[in-house]
Amino acid sequence: MSGKKENSMLEIHGLCASVEGTEILRGIDLEVKAGEVHAIMGPNGSGKSTLANVLAGREEYLVDAGTVQYNGIDLLELSAEERACEGIFLAFQYPVSIPGISNAYFLRSALNAIRRYREESEIDAVDFLELVRSRMDLVGMDEKLLHRAVNDGFSGGEKKRNEILQMAVLDPTLAILDETDSGLDIDALRIVAEGVNKLRKQERAIIVVTHYQRLLDYIVPDRVHVLSEGKIVRSGDKSLALELEKEGYSWLQADDARAGNNA
Amino acid sequence: MVVETWSEQVQTCSLNFDDQGAELKKRRERALEQFEQHGFPGRKHEEWRYTPLSRLAAGPCAPLLESSQEIPFCPDLPGDMLAKVVILNGEFRADLSDLSRLPAAIRIQSLAQLRHSDPDQLASLLDLYWTQDSHPFHDLSDALLDDGVHIEVVEEGAKIDSPIHIMHVFDGQARSGSAHVTGLIQLAAGAQLQLVEEIRSVGQVLGNLRWGVGLDPRSILKRVRAFRPECASIFHGTRVIQQQDSRFEDLFCSSGGDLIRNELHVSHEGTGCHCDLLGAYAGRGKNHLDHHTTIDHKVEDCTSNEIYRGVLSDLARGVFSGMIHVHPDAQRTDAKQSNDTILLSEGAEADTRPRLEIYADDVKCTHGATIGELDEEAIFYLRSRGVSPDEARKILVRAFTSEVFHALEDRQLSDFIADEIQQSINPDGTDRR
Repeated sequence: MSGKKENSMLEIHGLCASVEGTEILRGIDLEVKAGEVHAIMGPNGSGKSTLANVLAGREEYLVDAGTVQYNGIDLLELSAEERACEGIFLAFQYPVSIPGISNAYFLRSALNAIRRYREESEIDAVDFLELVRSRMDLVGMDEKLLHRAVNDGFSGGEKKRNEILQMAVLDPTLAILDETDSGLDIDALRIVAEGVNKLRKQERAIIVVTHYQRLLDYIVPDRVHVLSEGKIVRSGDKSLALELEKEGYSWLQADDARAGNNA
Repeated sequence: MVVETWSEQVQTCSLNFDDQGAELKKRRERALEQFEQHGFPGRKHEEWRYTPLSRLAAGPCAPLLESSQEIPFCPDLPGDMLAKVVILNGEFRADLSDLSRLPAAIRIQSLAQLRHSDPDQLASLLDLYWTQDSHPFHDLSDALLDDGVHIEVVEEGAKIDSPIHIMHVFDGQARSGSAHVTGLIQLAAGAQLQLVEEIRSVGQVLGNLRWGVGLDPRSILKRVRAFRPECASIFHGTRVIQQQDSRFEDLFCSSGGDLIRNELHVSHEGTGCHCDLLGAYAGRGKNHLDHHTTIDHKVEDCTSNEIYRGVLSDLARGVFSGMIHVHPDAQRTDAKQSNDTILLSEGAEADTRPRLEIYADDVKCTHGATIGELDEEAIFYLRSRGVSPDEARKILVRAFTSEVFHALEDRQLSDFIADEIQQSINPDGTDRR
């Protein structure tokens, strides 16, 4: 890994993590600077989603070794909610539905929790609605969705768009999109990707976790990393994604075979 | 024996009443006899198996005294009410009530007034709703029958738009004791009425409440019952008799109490009746929240919908026993019942007993009961958005009880009560790790 440390928003060194005794991440090194978009690619089971969830603070994943610095703080010391309040956002691969609570209530509770953490005053219902409306325009969402229960009865596309709306309202510093393209048809994919692109900015970094190169046609990354068996085995610019598109992930197994299956 | 103390005291108090009507006198005497004989039933009695009445038997029976302190403890319910009835320690208090805006279609008087002016009518109403079959709380109510409220919508088709507010206050600040209230409601054909009943208590008290409700054809009664936080021991019984095409909607809400027993018995006597029995309750500490409902579908083409949802933390215990009785003539009955409970701690306990007795063949009856925990994935989802685990649990509790509140049109009131329930759980009770 290279990179000028003074500019890094996120620095991951030697990160190892396991779930229920099974080692999944086996020494991840990654640096992400503000303003960058990084894509994490790799075959199923390579640890992509685990990395996303470890960064978000999911407790089922045990960090066995390594460090994660985020804007100069030790991220691994923070709870999931503290991480969110510090500006980390995970767009879920499978957004959870919560019958009985409207999207608006959910989002306002989240926004006010973050504002309290930052010692800002809570936002009232009127200002909140104004804010949400402006962000809904950004991601091309119907206001009706605001008053429906959180992800309850939403189509796959609506759920993913709802994640991007949450991102737009909560305004994170580091957004991690976990397989945001999964389950979307090409039109839904384009809408979600356009929303993300509008949210790209100099102060924000985005990590896009995806199995397919397709999403990266729309969200063009600055860096692409290939994860295999819990390690980053190759990094490059956006052309690496195109290369993968042609070759698939089979070359990884060939590499493994040559390395003598050290798993 | 403690029970002897109770029955002695009940006897002493009961003899103070100077009844005019012979029938009323008979009811009082019979109730006394029955209570003396049985007192508070023990755990061996099927209907009382889960209810720790021994807690009550150990408590004081003496009448409550009004304390000089202000009626304390919780903010007023929101909303524009048409009239307010305050019943303090069992006594209808005209000085604290406000009946100035009542239209002529509706009459409200104290039960004491009715007891003096027309004891025979009172006795026949009591006979209509409560046959004296040895029920400890009804026997107490009969033996110590004193005051309460009598509400009548006398004009056919009268639609009373804003609710009547009924506030029960049991004030045990001056000394602990008990109070007994009987309420009677009669709606004329096609009449519509809304009630917001509120129960507050402070100190060690036993509040014993019962309502007899008569709904003439096509009338509609919508009732909200809000048991405000930190209630003591309250028995609340309602007996509803519905005539053809009438509708009864009841929303029971409780933010916890030492011992709350909610008994609801609805009979559909005419075709085309409907009732909604909805309940949301939250218990913590050693709260005991007990719900017993019976719906008698006696005739054809009636429907009922019952949803009770509870959230229990700490060592709280919740009981739900729901009987749906479909009589042989009650063809095409459509009855739905569900009771769902969330346990937030290892020590909390829920007992749920759906009971269906169906003697007609062309009926639709569904029932379901679940006891579970909050969805950990949903908690993580909220936490990943910045919400603390405690706050996340409270939000999910609100989500869980929300279905019960859908029916209440007054959003301001339903939000207020939902908030109160949400705030009265102990989210720490969920620490299972």
